[in-house]
Amino acid sequence: MNPITILYVSFLLLVAGAIVAAATSKLQRFCSWSSLGFVSAASLCLLYLAIHVFAKGQITQPEPLLSLPGIGASLSIGIDALSALLFLIISIVSFCATLFSIRYIRKYEKESLLRFYPLLLLLFASIIGVVVIRDMLFFIVLWEMMTLTSWALVVYERESKISIRAGLEYFIATHVATGFIILASVLLYAHTSVPSFDFNALRASFDTLITSNPALVHLILASFFIGFVTKAGVLPFGFWLPNAYPAAPSSGSAAFAGIVEKAGIYAIVRVFCTILPISVYSQTWGVVIAIFGTFSIFIGTMSALTQDDSKKLMSFHAIGQIGYMLLGIGVGLYFLTINTALATIALVAGLFHMINHAWFKSCLFLNAGSIFYKTGIRDLNKIGGLFSLMPWTGITAIVASLSIAGIPPLNGFASKLLIFESSIIAGTEVGAAIWAKALFVIMGIAAIFISAVTLASFLKFLNSAFMGKLRGVRASSTGDVPLSMNVPQGILAFLCVLFGVVPLLPITMVYKAVSGALPAGTSPAPDILFGNMWSGISVNFGTRVISGVWNPLWVIIAFALVVGVIYLVVKAGGSKVRRVETWYGGREHIPADISYRGHSFYTPFKRAFSFKMGNVDFKGLYPTSLPLPKATMPKGLRILLHPDQWFYYPIANLLMKLNRGLSKSHTGVPQMYLLWTIVGAILTLVIILCLR
Amino acid sequence: MSIGFIIGASILNLFLALALSPLFEGCARKLRATIHSRIGPPIIQPYYDLVKLFSKEDLRASVNPLVRLAPYACIVSIAIAALLVPMGTFSTSYQTFLPPFNNYGDSILFMYLIALSAVAVILTATASENPFAFVGASREMVMHLTVEPVLVIVLVTAAINAGSFRMSDMVLWYHTHGPSASMIVAAIFLFLALQAQVGKLPFDIAEADQEIMGGGFIEQSGPKYALLRWSMMAKQIVFCSIFTQVFIPWPMVGNLAWDVLINLAKVLVLVLIIAVIDVVNPRLRIDQSVRYYLYLSLFALIAVGLALAGI
Repeated sequence: MNPITILYVSFLLLVAGAIVAAATSKLQRFCSWSSLGFVSAASLCLLYLAIHVFAKGQITQPEPLLSLPGIGASLSIGIDALSALLFLIISIVSFCATLFSIRYIRKYEKESLLRFYPLLLLLFASIIGVVVIRDMLFFIVLWEMMTLTSWALVVYERESKISIRAGLEYFIATHVATGFIILASVLLYAHTSVPSFDFNALRASFDTLITSNPALVHLILASFFIGFVTKAGVLPFGFWLPNAYPAAPSSGSAAFAGIVEKAGIYAIVRVFCTILPISVYSQTWGVVIAIFGTFSIFIGTMSALTQDDSKKLMSFHAIGQIGYMLLGIGVGLYFLTINTALATIALVAGLFHMINHAWFKSCLFLNAGSIFYKTGIRDLNKIGGLFSLMPWTGITAIVASLSIAGIPPLNGFASKLLIFESSIIAGTEVGAAIWAKALFVIMGIAAIFISAVTLASFLKFLNSAFMGKLRGVRASSTGDVPLSMNVPQGILAFLCVLFGVVPLLPITMVYKAVSGALPAGTSPAPDILFGNMWSGISVNFGTRVISGVWNPLWVIIAFALVVGVIYLVVKAGGSKVRRVETWYGGREHIPADISYRGHSFYTPFKRAFSFKMGNVDFKGLYPTSLPLPKATMPKGLRILLHPDQWFYYPIANLLMKLNRGLSKSHTGVPQMYLLWTIVGAILTLVIILCLR
Repeated sequence: MSIGFIIGASILNLFLALALSPLFEGCARKLRATIHSRIGPPIIQPYYDLVKLFSKEDLRASVNPLVRLAPYACIVSIAIAALLVPMGTFSTSYQTFLPPFNNYGDSILFMYLIALSAVAVILTATASENPFAFVGASREMVMHLTVEPVLVIVLVTAAINAGSFRMSDMVLWYHTHGPSASMIVAAIFLFLALQAQVGKLPFDIAEADQEIMGGGFIEQSGPKYALLRWSMMAKQIVFCSIFTQVFIPWPMVGNLAWDVLINLAKVLVLVLIIAVIDVVNPRLRIDQSVRYYLYLSLFALIAVGLALAGI
């Protein structure tokens, strides 16, 4: 079948699913299951498409479907490996999020399903559109649709003031961002030879501008950058993210972190690799992207360490992890003109981390959702020991947490390894400027250090939620969370393990995406860069010999063997097991008295990174309470802006006064009214006679 | 690299890291006793301790499976880390010290295996449900957070010099290039971080017997406790071997037996130095240690700067 047809089918399935869900929103069960049906069908189509593209290498050239010749825009759709990469993420995350919602959304009894499933499905549909469209005008239309549907999910709990406030922040921030995207597109459009919004035409427009008007190129790129990273949630533009993500229902948050955020990364790669020709501009903006990425990594993760709300903690980590992707992409862009091997590896690293992040962050949001479903609590200080109650959630949370912290042999390790090595090897590159080398090395070291902070932060999450004595659960709620919530967590955790144990499989896919996004012939062959051992990767940054290796298979085999030996040693000891009570130093306590709360973790470290500057408290380098800037207006303008005061009220008061005078005649005595009538009649007669 | 070399060198490294490490600990204890003007236990006392612990009763305060699984992860991750570190295994075809898993993992994997062992200690501690263990876990992580940057910076310095993250390439580069300023500075900082990495005074804050009764080890008993103690001893050998092989790769004789013996002698000297520092120092508070290592990591960046400048 024609790939484009399949794409249509999946898009229409989602739209149809949205309509059906909207029509049947009163029938809870039917609405949930029909949405799941539509989403799974669409996911299967997308998965098929992704596999099709990666296995056969078949790329569908953009073809215009609907043309608006008046303004030179056409709805042209093309599928390349980069789109297919996003398909893979969308198909799996959307299925998991919808399956998880079926039971989870019942937790929100007060809210109507009308404002959940239709919007969720439209969100998925619009992201599919965003990643295939090759025309800036329609791209912006779908981008906006994505923004609006996700905004509606943020304000799902419309009774909650926090949600509404977060939604407002999100709305304003993303719309300012869209404004920047429109500005950049229009500026480019104005310089196309034949008016056209097509990506190829915009690329040609960049080509002419680079020689004729360098300052404008920087302005356009800056606008694109601000527009896209605001959506991706890069600090300081992503200030809305830590409030908006936790406000949505957990499955919605999983979709945000798994897909919506990735649309921003997709757009950055699309603009800076495909639309922008390889030039000195990609170098400059590579540095800028990497700097903002590292800033996000550092601030986002350090402030995550101080969070006690499970979903807020994960949202701050979403900011941090986006930083890792940008660091990889930034290093890649910088070296495109210098060393294509290093550039390709860094770009692959960034996008590989994007896929991995989709798996583990969605899984973690679902874990937080499971905890909320079971306990109704998001505060990590009030829960504990849930491992015994919901072991499957516990296991998947451990897998996902260790993945995000980059513990081998899980997937986060493979992508972080590539990011670290490419940014540090950048320091040995002869062609680069010395300041850039130093900058990249420092960024690499910061990234490694923050990886440990990520580990600390997620161990805090695991320890306070799953370890220790059971707390925070009503005695009535026993048993694990339902299967429909366990399965999606399991799928995502399995993918974390799979992509970590067989890193060459995803890396080959990402490599195809990167080499497809770059101009043809830019990137060296994959077996030169990543070696040809199927069991692992050996990284080669161009001219040098192999610089880094990671071969999970043999490491796991060795691990298993040594575990076997140690097990035999322990068995030879022949010790007996005895159950005992926890020892509290000889005294009896109830668990609530002596529990170590999530807030207490890492206090000395947190204190070392918290300070006060003026009136603003910085907790983990993140300002907790920013004094709002006071805007002052000229007095005349303020008066002018209040027409009530100088226009409406004076006139209204005047009329009232007049009416009061008139009402005096209204005495209530019938004779008086008769008199008025007679006087009136005489007056009328006189007037008529006079007019004659 | 032949398969025979990999297996042989793996067995040798595992033997040094797991089987011989209690012996070094015994030497350190003897030295400690000498400084205290005691006779002290025999050198092989740590072996007796381990054997005794393996046969002792295994008390479980929690049904959480992580309590009994995590100690395995702890010692095995150290063992795998030992396979990434050269310990005198000279390869004639490469003309350098070659760790057995040279083709399977590099120094980034090494750092994360060390992190994994810390994770294992923390998970086994918190799964035991004891509040003292939670305090110990929190401290263990803070120590890891603040000491790790120094280790990272030191290894990155070597990686920039060698243009590779594999430890064999680092050794090869340093040995052929001769002493360099950046590597010497890096070695000094690694030495300053060593005490905390192997959990000795003044930085044994995570266990702190007198304050929090062993921290993460409080609920551990029998074989679990033996595995955790054993992994501490193995960690000492692994870290000392990095110092002696990567940052002082001289002399390189070219003969397997001699190189291994020379490395053991160097490691023994280092272990004894660590033991002396351990004996003469009191324990620092955790906030003092945090401040110390955060400043130390800032200064350690000098080594990276020197490496970037090519000296």
